[in-house]
Amino acid sequence: MDFDFSDDQEQLRDAVRKWVDKGYDFERRRGIEAAGGFSREAWDELSELGLGGLYISEDDGGLGMGPVAGMVVMEELGRGIVLEPFAQTLIAGGVLSGYAGADVKDAWLPRIAGGQALVVLAHHERKARYRTDVCEATATKAGDGWTVSGTKGVVPAGDQADAYLVPATVDGKIALFLVERGADGVAARGYGTQDGGRAAEVVFDKAAAALVTLDGLTALEHAVDIGIAAICAEAVGVMDKTLAVTVEYMNTRKQFGVTIATFQALRHRLADMKMQLELARSMSYYASLKLNAPTAERRQAVARAKYQLGVSMRFVGQNAVQLHGGIGVTDEYIVSHYFKRLTQMEMSFGDTLHHLGEVSARMEETAGVFA
Amino acid sequence: MDLSFTPEEQKFREDIRAWVKENLPQEISHKVHNALELTRDDLQSWAKILGKKGWLGYGWPKEFGGPGWTAIERHLFEEETALAGAPRIVPFGPVMVAPVIQAFGTPEQHKRFLPGIASGEVWWSQGYSEPGSGSDLASLKTKAERQGDKYIVNGQKTWTTLGQYGDWMFNLVRTSSEGKPQTGISFLLLDMKSPGVTVRPIKLLDGSVEVNEVWFDNVEVPAENLIGEENKGWTYAKHLLSHERTNIADVNRAKRELERLKRIAKTEGLWDDTRFRDEIAKLEVDVVALEMMVLRVLSAAASGKNSLDVAGLLKIKGSEIQQRYTELMMLAGGAYSLPLIREAMHAGWQGDFPGGHVGLAPLASNYFNMRKTTIYGGSNEVQRNIVAQTVLG
Repeated sequence: MDFDFSDDQEQLRDAVRKWVDKGYDFERRRGIEAAGGFSREAWDELSELGLGGLYISEDDGGLGMGPVAGMVVMEELGRGIVLEPFAQTLIAGGVLSGYAGADVKDAWLPRIAGGQALVVLAHHERKARYRTDVCEATATKAGDGWTVSGTKGVVPAGDQADAYLVPATVDGKIALFLVERGADGVAARGYGTQDGGRAAEVVFDKAAAALVTLDGLTALEHAVDIGIAAICAEAVGVMDKTLAVTVEYMNTRKQFGVTIATFQALRHRLADMKMQLELARSMSYYASLKLNAPTAERRQAVARAKYQLGVSMRFVGQNAVQLHGGIGVTDEYIVSHYFKRLTQMEMSFGDTLHHLGEVSARMEETAGVFA
Repeated sequence: MDLSFTPEEQKFREDIRAWVKENLPQEISHKVHNALELTRDDLQSWAKILGKKGWLGYGWPKEFGGPGWTAIERHLFEEETALAGAPRIVPFGPVMVAPVIQAFGTPEQHKRFLPGIASGEVWWSQGYSEPGSGSDLASLKTKAERQGDKYIVNGQKTWTTLGQYGDWMFNLVRTSSEGKPQTGISFLLLDMKSPGVTVRPIKLLDGSVEVNEVWFDNVEVPAENLIGEENKGWTYAKHLLSHERTNIADVNRAKRELERLKRIAKTEGLWDDTRFRDEIAKLEVDVVALEMMVLRVLSAAASGKNSLDVAGLLKIKGSEIQQRYTELMMLAGGAYSLPLIREAMHAGWQGDFPGGHVGLAPLASNYFNMRKTTIYGGSNEVQRNIVAQTVLG
């Protein structure tokens, strides 16, 4: 039982925090949002920190670090509400390492590790909502390779990415493919998202695809779980900052001749926010520490975590805005940007109701961290 | 980071489990698992079983005859006993007053008081709250006047839990009205059989009698029963509070009761009812999150790094969870939670409970009883004040 971070993990945290503090201030973020919500330049800076290879083994050009390292990085990126979707790199590294054949690994893992390739998960379909086992996209064998047809939505940085991980059915069973954005038959229509980031609607029309695995559902569920653990950690970082700016505001803003931090109604709301933050941090640890557990245990843990994080994100976000009063609903002040990011994360990889259903379906006679 | 216990800790857990299985009387665990009424004898016989093994003072260091366990070992002990259906150790002696006597008492006081606490022979009660001093404890008025080699105590305490069984009582009394309210308080041990002590049980909303009013009318207390220095009692009382940091969350009992809630939901045909089942699922996440928070505190205590000041959060969340599971159990029983048949809450009742399922008999009473948890030990609103103070700096 140990919740301390190793020296390596602390160094990693320092490096990312330094970059966020110096290299990714609110003004730069604003500029990136105005320019469309994704900056390849910022992405390259992140890659220069060596982060792309966290979940990729040293043999494949990565660092071979574990989920706690990923968690540390995501917390720090959350503190800067960084728009570039680094969670996707953790997903791609983890999933290709775990499920792809040698040819796909050799072609992509070193480039993902080095940051030359941004590979994102393209799994949302209109009718599936958050379910991973509903998929209308199909794949067909074509010569030595495959082609994929279908439409995937809200794909992170979908018109900027170099390739996609795409679930598509083969004989009615979900398989997972890798499709390059530049392939014939791929059309990505990009747009900004509510949090200032970028996504795209991606249409695949008999696009050339490399098979990652025929057991696509297992791989997709694992991908989503890596994403959930990453988002949980990122949310803790965002909420840490959200609480900090709220505290600062309460200690500065005066009304009726005193700082608003003196009002008990507001203090109690702040205490409730702190509660939600610490429950969230506890469950973020839990998700990351269970990420390498056997499948059923892992799935149950991330569902529990994402449910808690969803509740926490909504509570902390909404109440931070409320405690800021009028300035909380302006674009100018940062707290609304924290709120929007938290909201978008609540709705990524399954929202709170979805995961409540998952927890509910997975309940057993006993329950607890070790059950 | 590592979410597992060491092989030594695992072994420790298994040893505790085996011992509890061997030594916890089945008629007691049956009552606990079914929320039936526990008598004084039930509580004390379990205390004596633990005492004989040297585990009643399970948080004590070796120098005072305790097992000298680490924070994690204490947690494992609490978990194994709770899950096996042991009653909670009545904390006033072994968990609350003993650490104060150990830290601030004289060698004579150690010799005189600790053996009776360790064995479970002597029942201790707590004399803190007063009719006019609830959350604002430091305003307490019970007066102790020094006269030669004794104190004369006058005043009234209230909410004295299980005080009707008490042999001895540790009290916060006012010995000075100078300066701030906190600075005039002393920590005094009092024999409840002394002339002038009157105990009157208070019947609670669920019909149970577990708290009392205690009056002191010119009660003579030998001066040698003062702990530490006069007027320093507040400091000692705060030391006592620091001893129940994770225990207050009571997460292990919550795990046991969550299992019971699931059993009741199944019996009542609610397990496949999505609306009800989702409420259990929410509680399950709450319990896991609370357990993670407790484990974080234990880890921080063990390593000395990343110290966590979350005692207030543990109290708030733990108490809310206790209320919620009793609430859901009562709701699960539906209308058949409503018959108030007191005998049906005792083990072995052979009567005919309406609807035929006697397991529902105590559910509503338990729900009513648990409303206390967000009030005692510093109400949850007071806890929120403390949390906010810490966050705002």
